Amino acid sequence: MLEESARSLGKGSTPLGLVPEGLICICSMRFCPFAERTRLVLKAEGIRHEVIYTNLKDKPEWFFKKNPFSLMPVLENSQGQLIYESAITCEYLDEAYSGKKLLPDDPYEKACQKMVFELFSKVPSLVGSFLRTQNKEDGAGLKEALCKEFSKLEEVLINKKTTFFGGNSVSMIDYLIWPSFERLEAMKLNECVDHTPELKLWMAAMREDPTVSALLTVVKDWQGFTEVYLQPGGL
Amino acid sequence: MSEDATRTLGKGSQPPGPVPEGLIRIYSMRFCPYSHRTRLVLKAKDIRHEVVNINLRNKPEWYYTKHPFGHIPVLETSQCQLIYESVIACEYLDDAYPGRKLFPYDPYERARQKMLLELFCKVPDLTKECLVALRCGRECTDLKAALRQEFGNLEEILEYQNTTFFGGTCISMIDYLLWPWFERLDVYGILDCVSHTPALRLWISAMKWDPTVCALLMDKSIFQGFLNLYFQNNPNAFDFGLC
Repeated sequence: MLEESARSLGKGSTPLGLVPEGLICICSMRFCPFAERTRLVLKAEGIRHEVIYTNLKDKPEWFFKKNPFSLMPVLENSQGQLIYESAITCEYLDEAYSGKKLLPDDPYEKACQKMVFELFSKVPSLVGSFLRTQNKEDGAGLKEALCKEFSKLEEVLINKKTTFFGGNSVSMIDYLIWPSFERLEAMKLNECVDHTPELKLWMAAMREDPTVSALLTVVKDWQGFTEVYLQPGGL
Repeated sequence: MSEDATRTLGKGSQPPGPVPEGLIRIYSMRFCPYSHRTRLVLKAKDIRHEVVNINLRNKPEWYYTKHPFGHIPVLETSQCQLIYESVIACEYLDDAYPGRKLFPYDPYERARQKMLLELFCKVPDLTKECLVALRCGRECTDLKAALRQEFGNLEEILEYQNTTFFGGTCISMIDYLLWPWFERLDVYGILDCVSHTPALRLWISAMKWDPTVCALLMDKSIFQGFLNLYFQNNPNAFDFGLC
């Protein structure tokens, strides 16, 4: 299985050729939390795929043709069909490929996972804003807002009385929200889960999941990336 | 008489009892576009349901047990399961009920409809802002320009696909999910925002021929009456037009 190739394509690179039969190609950036969702699902479902890394701040011209929003990740299958928006790509993979199903079959349980995802929806932008914030006051405000969002998720776990958000084993919703939590330590936001013990237990349980641990980014690598990314003209 | 022509429940009202077996309940409001999406799906799939309208300016205390922030629409099953966010509710109904499927079976086509929904995502807020600006006598040239831009994106999709509907030659889920805001363009006073989008105008006409859309089409004068009272902060706005 071709995976995690170190190819990083920037301006002036040639466009991707046709994706071979039986393979799906994901266009990604190594540290992108949204792309990580899709890579978790690809890994968890054992789907043969190829990863093409693109440069976040210096996207090749062909990338804009492939994706009107010029966002990551983008999936391309061997029929040349493009799918984007991370949550949409994850659901597509679950439906299109046979084998391990990450979304429940039961319509209500599936709807519950989507409702939890909605509940989580403010977290990525709060974490992103915190990453970019320059002053302490804004940072403190963002931390407080993040704590509030985490409390909502804590309540879900308390009410469900299960380890994971979908029940007693890992499922789609856990993989969709994990990337934000993986980055808390590197961003010195660990204190935001101090008052949410169930969420802390969930994080520990997630780290034990084989798929999560296979894709885990070492803290210093992530910190190294953010230092370069935040420099003017970085990356 | 329309199935949802019932008076709203407000503060101090008794909570409705459990949902009877064989029915699903929708908490709604007759003029809300988000509820409209879900009512279209209920109708299109011929799902037996009952409607409980909520007074959004004077919400019943018990309603917060159905939704933490008192939003609509919310679906409630006879097993006391609650489903909310309009798109989640629509998808749930399509999954849970047999018969006519509104989402395509093909995973790529399903993903495509969801990507189209993302493309549409700025429209609801923009149409609301235009309505409020116009009603408050403020100018809204910039807002209308932004809305025209969004409609231009949708026009490009229809032109590229060369199909009548967003999902193909027949009406499907994505068309119903978008429809409520287009039905309201006229009564909001922003119909000119589709003046430069002929394919979109054709789609609007085609939608008006759909039996489900027709069955739920709101009378323009009743909608105007609602809007007048709503912008006067009259709590009886939500029951306007009921006997």
